Amino acid sequence: MNTYNRVKQEFIKKWITTLHMFDSSVEHPTNVTERRNAIRLSSDIAIAATRTGSTVWSRALISRTRNKTTDKPVARRILRKARNRMKNRCTTLRRNGHFKAKIGVRKRTEMLKSLVPGGELIDDKDYLIRETLDYIVYLRAQVDVMRTVAAVDSVSGNLPNDRRNK
Amino acid sequence: MDLTQGFGDRSGGESVTGLVESLNFSDEIRQLVTMPPENTGSFTALLEMPATQAMELLHFTDTSCSQATGDIAPPTLHHPFGTLALPSDSLLMDRAGRFSVIASEQNGNISGDSNSSANVKTEPTETDSMAENHNRNNCSGKRKEREKKVKSSMKKSKSSEEAEKLPYVHVRARRGQATDNHSLAERARREKINARMKLLQELVPGCDKIQGTALVLDEIINHVQSLQRQVEMLSMRLAAVNPRIDFNLDSILASEVSFM
Repeated sequence: MNTYNRVKQEFIKKWITTLHMFDSSVEHPTNVTERRNAIRLSSDIAIAATRTGSTVWSRALISRTRNKTTDKPVARRILRKARNRMKNRCTTLRRNGHFKAKIGVRKRTEMLKSLVPGGELIDDKDYLIRETLDYIVYLRAQVDVMRTVAAVDSVSGNLPNDRRNK
Repeated sequence: MDLTQGFGDRSGGESVTGLVESLNFSDEIRQLVTMPPENTGSFTALLEMPATQAMELLHFTDTSCSQATGDIAPPTLHHPFGTLALPSDSLLMDRAGRFSVIASEQNGNISGDSNSSANVKTEPTETDSMAENHNRNNCSGKRKEREKKVKSSMKKSKSSEEAEKLPYVHVRARRGQATDNHSLAERARREKINARMKLLQELVPGCDKIQGTALVLDEIINHVQSLQRQVEMLSMRLAAVNPRIDFNLDSILASEVSFM
């Protein structure tokens, strides 16, 4: 349990940083869709950066986010900082084996590969399942934190700042 | 003011602790989450080298420390000549003993030739080779470390004088002789996958009752999809409520931390 809570704490700290950076870079966007994109991208960057260590999904998530925010120099700075902490080589390793996959399992692994970021680069089924396991943990942390933030935020959105002393 | 404050705290507390309890994390999952960083150091270092040199190193590190590549690395690397299968599993390492070693001094063929240098695979002391090669294997074992150090320079300058310092050991790889080894390795791999699937079953709620890999994968796919969709919806919700991107997170952080 402690690891999970620590993950959530790390995530929210990083998320605050990325949100601040996004906010300072962009002049007030009027569009809700833009805001939602910014929030989601910042959240994705934060959760990928929370995963210290080299996992395929975290690196793929960061590089995928990079393609969407190339016009924001601040976002690039965030991504560079997050990327420097991990080795950003995502290479494909082919397996020289002869395992026969059942058709149902094969189709589903293809689908799982499309869901997990960076999954298409993984050929080994064992490795894919490990990555999925890791990814689910962090994805769930992301959802939990966002849900809590949304719940608290909707209740106390306009309150003055004396709540900080609580 | 007090009512809303209490409500906000309670809802935050309930959601956090309630969700935490419902997750039911087992020790293995926690181990898994923290294990990859330890094992990927050597693995990612390997990835930065071309396939041939990585292969040499992999085999060398396998014999010295079998945990080097760890669990997260796939068992084999693709060799350009397609004849080698690298052992990282302990079962597959028995295969290493079957590889025959042909010392380079015999044919006088030094690795100044670029092709042969690509075909190199260093070999531990236990081999099927003849007794006279045994001494050469020992020498090459010492030289393996030197080879590792000069590997980067070897890549660029494959001069003959370097080759004379380190006589390369040419290995002709044979495939796993008996099918027993092969099926053993296959079975080990399948068991590993099944163990991971069990862990995934524990992680994904409602997956315990399902038998069969395909249905479990279905559940996992649904779970991942629903989580991703939740992220989308929550970010839309947060964007709709707040006029600016940087919403009031400081106070939220204060109340969040108090529950962890």
